[in-house]
Amino acid sequence: MLDILRFGLSAALTLAGLFVLLSGIVGIYRFQYSLSRIHAGALFDTAGIVLMLLGVIVALGFTLTSLKMLLIICLLWLASPVSSHLIGRMEITINDELEKDMMVLDNEMVRHEKEGD
Amino acid sequence: MARMKNDYENSWWPKLMRWLDNGSTALDDRMEEEMEETHEGHLLPSPEEIAAQEARREERIQQKLTDELELYARAHHWSRTKGTKIADWAYRILAVVICVSIIWVLLQTASYLPSFGSPDNPAHNEVSRRYIEKGMEETGAVNIVAGMILDYRAFDTLGESNVLFVAACSVMILLRVSSDKKHHISSVHQLEMEADDRMYEPKDDLILQRATAFLVPVILLFGVYGLLNGHISPGGGFSGGAIMGAGLILYLNAYGFQKAQRFFTFTVFKAISACALSFYALSKAYSFFTGANHLPSFITPGTPGNLFSAGLIPYLNIAVGLVVCCTMYAFYTHFRKGDM
Repeated sequence: MLDILRFGLSAALTLAGLFVLLSGIVGIYRFQYSLSRIHAGALFDTAGIVLMLLGVIVALGFTLTSLKMLLIICLLWLASPVSSHLIGRMEITINDELEKDMMVLDNEMVRHEKEGD
Repeated sequence: MARMKNDYENSWWPKLMRWLDNGSTALDDRMEEEMEETHEGHLLPSPEEIAAQEARREERIQQKLTDELELYARAHHWSRTKGTKIADWAYRILAVVICVSIIWVLLQTASYLPSFGSPDNPAHNEVSRRYIEKGMEETGAVNIVAGMILDYRAFDTLGESNVLFVAACSVMILLRVSSDKKHHISSVHQLEMEADDRMYEPKDDLILQRATAFLVPVILLFGVYGLLNGHISPGGGFSGGAIMGAGLILYLNAYGFQKAQRFFTFTVFKAISACALSFYALSKAYSFFTGANHLPSFITPGTPGNLFSAGLIPYLNIAVGLVVCCTMYAFYTHFRKGDM
C-alpha cells in the first residue's frame, strides 16, 4: 500500500515537472521579447527541474543519492535565479526601447495604432 | 627654356628696349596680353577663380559619388531583394541536407561497428586486459582511468597539459592588450578600450555577490576534492581543474578584476603553470627512467584506496589540475579584457 502511494506521488511529481518543462520550452520559443523568455526559462530551471528531482527522490527513498539530489536542487535554486536576474538586468541596461518593448498592448490599443499614425 | 624666356620677356631690359623702340605692333600687344593672361591664370589665380574651381571640382565629385551610389544600388538590388530570399531558402535546404547526410553517414558507420560488448572486439586486446586486470596492482589507483592516463600513458598526458599551456600562450600573444603595466595604467586609450563595451555592464551586483559568496567556496572545495581523489573516485586533474577554474571565473564576474587581481595576476599564472608543468615533466621523467617494468623504484603504488597511494598519480593530478585551472582563467580574462 505504501509502495503504491509512493509510486503514485513520484509519478505525479514527475508528470507535473514534465508539464512545467514543456510549458517552459513552449514559452521560450513563443515569446517575442527577451524578458518574457527569461520568465519562461527561469520557470523551466527552477520549478520544472525541482519537481522532476523530487519525483526521483520520492521514488528512491531516503538514500545518499537522494541527498545528493537535494544538493543539486540547492545549487540550481541558487544559480538559476541569479543568472536570470543578471540577464534581465543586462537587458534593462542596454535596451534603448525598453518602454516600447515592455508595453502591454490590449486589443483596443492595437486597433488604435493601426488606425492612427 | 620656355620659362626662362618668359622671365626674360617680363624682365626690365626688354621692356626698356621696347619702350625705347616705341614700335610695338598690334600683334605684339595682343600676344603680350594673352601671355599675361595665361600667366595670371597660372601663377596668381584670383580668389573668385579658386572658389569657382573648387565648386566645379566639388560638383564633379558629387556627380561621381551619386553615379557610383546608383551603380552600387543597381548592382546590389538583386542580391538584397531576391538574393536574400534565395540565400535564406538555400541555407535552410542545405542545413537540412547536410544534417541528413551527416546522420546517414554516421548511421552507416555505426552499422559497420562490431556489436557492443562482445568479447572479440578489436578494442578488447591484451592492452586493455592488462589495464583492467593488473592496473590497480601496478599503479595503485582504484580509478582505472586515472591509472591509465597518469601512469601507463603519462607521457601523453604531459603533452595534453602542454597543449593547454601553449593554447593559453597563443591566446595571450593574440589578445593581450598591453604587457607594460605602467603604460597600461597611464594610457587613456587603454582605459577607454577597457571601458569600451563593458561600460553599461551591471557591476557590483549585490544578488550575484551574495550567491557567489556562498557558491564559490563550495565550488572550489568540490574542485579540490575531485583533484585529490582523482585516483580513488571519478574525477582527476582535468575535471577538478575545470571546476576550480569555473569557480574563479564566477568570483571574477561577481567582484570584478580589482579584487580578483589581489590573488591571481599574470605573475601567479606564470609561476603556477611553469612550476606545475616542470614538476610533471621532471617527476615523470624520473619515474620513466627508474620505475619502468621490472626496475626497482622507491615510488611504490601503496595501498589502493588510501589518499596517499598510487605513487605519483595524486601529485600529477594536482599539477594537471592547476594547469587546467590557470588556462581556463587566462582564457576568460584575455577574451574579456585582454589582460589579467
